[in-house]
Amino acid sequence: MDERLSFEEALKRLEKIVHALQGGGLTLEQAIALFEDGMGLAKTCNERLNAAELKITQLQADFEPEPEHKDE
Amino acid sequence: MQLYSVSHVIRYLREVLEADSLLTDIWVSGEVSNLRESAAGHLYFTLKDETSQLRCVFFRPKLAITLENGAAVITHGHISIYEVSGALQLYVDLVQLEGVGILHLEFERLKAKLEEEGLFEPVRKRSLPLFPKRIGVVTSPTGAVFYDIASIIGRRYPLVELVLSPTLVQGDGAVDGIVQALQALNDMEDIDVVILARGGGSLEDLWAFNDEKVARAIYASKAPVISGVGHDTDFTIADFVADVRAPTPSAAAELAVPDYAELEAHIQSLTKTLLIDVTRYLDRYRQRTDELTRAASVYLGNALAISREKLRGRELELASLSPLATLSRGYALVQHSATGEVVSHIDQVQRGDAIDIKVSDGQFKGRVTGSKKGLQGWMNGFPSKKH
Repeated sequence: MDERLSFEEALKRLEKIVHALQGGGLTLEQAIALFEDGMGLAKTCNERLNAAELKITQLQADFEPEPEHKDE
Repeated sequence: MQLYSVSHVIRYLREVLEADSLLTDIWVSGEVSNLRESAAGHLYFTLKDETSQLRCVFFRPKLAITLENGAAVITHGHISIYEVSGALQLYVDLVQLEGVGILHLEFERLKAKLEEEGLFEPVRKRSLPLFPKRIGVVTSPTGAVFYDIASIIGRRYPLVELVLSPTLVQGDGAVDGIVQALQALNDMEDIDVVILARGGGSLEDLWAFNDEKVARAIYASKAPVISGVGHDTDFTIADFVADVRAPTPSAAAELAVPDYAELEAHIQSLTKTLLIDVTRYLDRYRQRTDELTRAASVYLGNALAISREKLRGRELELASLSPLATLSRGYALVQHSATGEVVSHIDQVQRGDAIDIKVSDGQFKGRVTGSKKGLQGWMNGFPSKKH
């Protein structure tokens, strides 16, 4: 499985494979190959989800933030 | 020193007045007097208070109220000069009886204006990306709102990058700050969705979100905008312009991303489907193999039976054709001794030929002593079967 495959791409491929398998008309070899790919993609999806950590960046603003607002 | 004509001065005054940002968008309260309606349906009146008066004109008035002399009103419009008479006047576009809050009036005025311009059109609302990668957040960097948004998104879908575009969210500078913060995100290439958020507060606290400039900045955003301003019950102009209105900042965060637990469940169900489908394939091919095997063995069995039957037929045929069977019935086989040629016609032999004669259980030799064509005198009904 491609190391750099994003969660979204992996999920999309997985969904496509499930769709293809449900469609029928495949040879047994094709079906098994798709199944193996699909299981690999599911694993990638889970790995991506588990490994993810929220990234936060802050843009510069040309004002001095006030100490505190009355936000909740 | 330069000398100016009257019209020159008036035109100059008019230009000055119409360039002033306060005078071009102004709310004025006062008491109505000298009210008069022209034949064309325009309203002319004077607004006055204890010390001063202001001439007013309201072209093609759309009024929800009946205007009377002496009524205390709030008006909105722009101040300019009527060049013909040189009179300074307020060109009114909205009149409301005093007592209705001015903020409320401004809200309704701007809402109607932007609605007419098409800023709230449902067809213009963009749908949110299912799996955003970068989410812009326009809010205060110091309040609890950003913290809440970050923790909700971190829990639901931590595969994203949050880009905080910080701004004041109330008071002086809030409007420009919000506009700039939205602009800064709009200048970036890969922002998938923008959250514009502020915690709850009074109508005045939330006022920046009812500003026309903010509304237009939201409208100009390349990425779809989710507004999450105040509480569920607060509606701002920003909410109407935004692609999606969330009742609160937290709800905006939830709308911006898919849910981790739901995604896990989704992947699990896909995996399950994969297993079911591949098993179905295996079963199908297994069954097909079975069917073919069965069909093959049935076919084979049939073929054997047919062959056996054929063989038996041939055996019978063979038996019936065997000369031994004929010999045992009293016939004899005659052959030329020299050539082994079977003698079946009288022309084949001549007197003196050596012949071999075979009967059912032996053979003997002989010599032709005479011959005669035809079978006259021999038994009638001689078997005519020809071999």
